[in-house]
Amino acid sequence: MAFLISFDIDGTMEFGDPPGGVTVEMVRRAKELGFIVGSCSDRFPSWQKQVWDSHGIPVDFWVAKHMLPDVKARFQAERYVHIGDRDIDRQLAEQVGFHFWWDYEAVAEPWLAWLAWLDDQR
Amino acid sequence: MPKQSPIPDELDKPFYDACNAERLVAQYCTSCRRYQFPPRPRCIRCGKDTAVEWRPLSGRGRIISRVVVYDTPTSSLIPGQPFNVAAIALDDEPEIIMLSHLPGTPVDQVPVGAAVEVIFETTPATGQKVPEWRVIA
Amino acid sequence: MPHPVVPREWFRNKEGLGLWEGRGKVVATGVGTSPTARRWDEKPETSMGALTILAIRKAIADAGIAPEEIDGLVLTPESTTGISKDPNTPPPPGWEKHFKMASFPQAGITRGDIDWLLLNMPELKNVKFMMNGPICMSVSFVAAAEAVARGLTKTCLVARGWHNLAGRYYVGVGASALNTASGRFKYSSIWGLPACGTTAMVFEEYCRKYGKSHDQMANFVVTSRRNGLMNPDGYYSQHRPEMITVEDYLTARWIAKPANIYDNDLPIMAALAVVFTTPERARDHKQKPVYILSHGQTRPESMGVVPTLEQWERSTDRMGRILYEGAGVGPDDLDFENMYDGFTLFHQFHLEGLRYAARGEKRGYALDLYETDISIEGPNPVSPSGGNNGNGRTRWWNHRDSILQLQGRSPSQIRKKAEIGVSGAPMPDSCDALIWSAKPPV
Repeated sequence: MAFLISFDIDGTMEFGDPPGGVTVEMVRRAKELGFIVGSCSDRFPSWQKQVWDSHGIPVDFWVAKHMLPDVKARFQAERYVHIGDRDIDRQLAEQVGFHFWWDYEAVAEPWLAWLAWLDDQR
Repeated sequence: MPKQSPIPDELDKPFYDACNAERLVAQYCTSCRRYQFPPRPRCIRCGKDTAVEWRPLSGRGRIISRVVVYDTPTSSLIPGQPFNVAAIALDDEPEIIMLSHLPGTPVDQVPVGAAVEVIFETTPATGQKVPEWRVIA
Repeated sequence: MPHPVVPREWFRNKEGLGLWEGRGKVVATGVGTSPTARRWDEKPETSMGALTILAIRKAIADAGIAPEEIDGLVLTPESTTGISKDPNTPPPPGWEKHFKMASFPQAGITRGDIDWLLLNMPELKNVKFMMNGPICMSVSFVAAAEAVARGLTKTCLVARGWHNLAGRYYVGVGASALNTASGRFKYSSIWGLPACGTTAMVFEEYCRKYGKSHDQMANFVVTSRRNGLMNPDGYYSQHRPEMITVEDYLTARWIAKPANIYDNDLPIMAALAVVFTTPERARDHKQKPVYILSHGQTRPESMGVVPTLEQWERSTDRMGRILYEGAGVGPDDLDFENMYDGFTLFHQFHLEGLRYAARGEKRGYALDLYETDISIEGPNPVSPSGGNNGNGRTRWWNHRDSILQLQGRSPSQIRKKAEIGVSGAPMPDSCDALIWSAKPPV
């Protein structure tokens, strides 16, 4: 059973412009715990990939902000969430059936609770 | 679409009062013999303020262009994205352009060139009515 | 102290005025550009005012003259990211320890201010001529050109800073977040058009009339970014050196279809200063003089909430005729065009008004031209500066590059010989433009 987390970059990630509160370590942890992770941002996809490579995180997707539907089509997951800092992030996420967390909510790594839920299911 | 309620001022109160009475009016310069909109203190062509008066419009027009808004700055309209915004050239003065969400017209299916007629929509915050437009079959 | 704005009678906003009387009497020499940033980090040394001071000092040094030789200063106070008009908005704490304070507290932060600059640049001790060129630096270039040509100043600085504060300046905040709308924007804001919406609407009308498509913009956008990335002073080359691809553009997110995210420019922090002087004085300047052959103005004639294609075509046609009449040159004399691109989708209106690289066409040819070789290496360089699209929002990269091209030192130097070029900004129906020349008029 998989969970998918999509991260916006500018205003969300610590390396964004402006910097957000979500750290590279949080993403790395999510990846290591088995989440499907990637970015969905207004930055060029090729740049997104480069940045994740530079941090040594083998992300599963790196797409333009409006490509969440493609991400959903590509990956089977129990839950999908997008994290961003703008109303447009929220709208694009919710239109395609993603859960949405604001950047400031995400700094608590609420997705970790899903693992507990998964344990309960087992 | 929950539009912002425009707050009339001294200059455009006649326009918004007319909207509340479901009449469409615009400023007309009797010297230049042409309309102008939005309202201005004087005619933008000849500069006279004494020649400008309010006149009724037919409420008919034609769609000359359109966009589809996907990322609006206006908070109240975000939930309705994407939405149409059409440019309406008035029959009375085709260089006067008004805007419309074209209620009832599906997104990205705006019939450019089609005839439209004015309707009036009540904005939620104050109840002020504003002109909207619908396609005439 | 309020300073005069450029008098309307200096404008060349109608046809029939003949050759510009200042033709050959004024030149540009030194150019100074500040570093760029995406947003202000609230440090005094990176404020818009500090960047402007830096740009001015660099321009003076570039011209190879002493600051005492400057006797004129023309400034554009406003940025599209919001000028403060509130005399009660204080500067950040400690601001006064770094800068001498002018009467307006936001001077140097969100507002360019001549008094503030002079207070903080004691080396500019001989400035007697002072003028504001409102809204766009193009207006300041025109004001300075007229002032030098009229003998009101011999060596004049033209300066402009741009600020971009933390956060977002109009999306979902301030007036956009209210459930009511007031002031002059109420006729458009209730419809929710983003800033690019008007341009997108006229572009749509253009495409429909001439049978063109948004996809045809791709080479223009890619080439502009390429040109901009050659400029070491540009925002993208300094901070985001990655290149856009045709695919990036064609698959980009719509903002107001047919305008996508890359049809919009990115607000930044940056400042530019340029030295204008007489040809006689320029002999002692370090840089080659670039002559101003003419200038022209258009102002909106719009009768509705948004302009129409017809109005923009009429306006840009008139600009072309005014410029060429004043300069005594024609479209075939242009070696490049650096008209504004601060929405990419209106650049072609400027270009077609000038009949740049037209082969007999009057209108509706620019998007086809974009699909040819419009690079700096090609026969018809389009926006060799890269403009806002290639460098970040300033409305002056184009003017700066026109001067550098004609001095032969542009970082994106066109390969053919650059002898005459044009630049202007901002909107198709509200524009100030200049024709520049590497040589004096004959």
